[in-house]
Amino acid sequence: MDCAVARKQDLPPPGGYRPIPYKRIPAKQYFSGYAMFAGFIGMTTGALYLQYLTYKQIKKHEIEMRSAKMAIYPMLLAERDREYLKQLRRNRDAEAELMKDVPGWEVGTYYGEKVYKLLPNDTLVEPIFHEYYAHTDPKEWYKRAYIKLMS
Amino acid sequence: MVLTADIHLPEESELTVPEVNLSGASLRAGAFHLGKYCEHANNEFMLCRFEENDPRKCIAEGKAVTACTMQFFRKVKSACMSEFNQYANCIDKSSGDFSFQYCRTTQGVLDKCMLDKLGLERPDFGYFCEARVHDTKRPKPLEEPKAVYPDATPALPEDADRKPARFGSRFYWMTE
Repeated sequence: MDCAVARKQDLPPPGGYRPIPYKRIPAKQYFSGYAMFAGFIGMTTGALYLQYLTYKQIKKHEIEMRSAKMAIYPMLLAERDREYLKQLRRNRDAEAELMKDVPGWEVGTYYGEKVYKLLPNDTLVEPIFHEYYAHTDPKEWYKRAYIKLMS
Repeated sequence: MVLTADIHLPEESELTVPEVNLSGASLRAGAFHLGKYCEHANNEFMLCRFEENDPRKCIAEGKAVTACTMQFFRKVKSACMSEFNQYANCIDKSSGDFSFQYCRTTQGVLDKCMLDKLGLERPDFGYFCEARVHDTKRPKPLEEPKAVYPDATPALPEDADRKPARFGSRFYWMTE
């Protein structure tokens, strides 16, 4: 035999391999199931109570703000109505002035054809926004139309 | 524009009255006492405005509202100006929406002054949100009469033969 070299066989370490850790180690449980349910119900109840208090407060605030608005609304509306009627007259005069050289043009109509034919006479039809601002600077129109976006 | 020449629009001179030249915060600060003070004029105007649905017909009522408001604020100015300004300043600067909840102290001061000097009490909470009945002398506007169309299809005579539908109801799942 020419196997002079001593061979070392690959064997397990003395005493064998470590055991394979397959055992389940659950996380530590601080609460039991019943305690969790109780906690959920308790916290929900507490939160609902807090929400009830806040809701009441918000509703009170809303009612107060609405009351204040309603109290001054007649005054604001009266002022707005007067200014609105003034502006309507100015618009009509501006249209008459602008179209005075056009033969056959009648103010508020298209060469005598009314927009609303069946309405009784002397009915105030409020003009739409673009008509109301027709005789102004486009800048003013833009300001009014997008005032909410800018302010 | 839709406004023809024969539509009556009031002259500018008819519409010009001294307007209330106050900021939003001041109006808010005086809102509750103002609403109580001018309640009759306000109700009269709002009833007119919503019944008639035409700004031209309620100009006199609107002028009364503005006159009452002016009178109220003149009274406040003569009696409780510093308290009022304090409260309005607080409302203006405490929040972005003129909220009243941060200004209860100054509000109390103003209320006391109003009650002592002008005899005006702050109305109950939510007073202006309640529905109210207003008795007015102004006659009620006539309702629009029911339209009569001469060429309308005549209705079935009373004694017409009313047979059941031949193919049942179109909405059989609802009616059967």
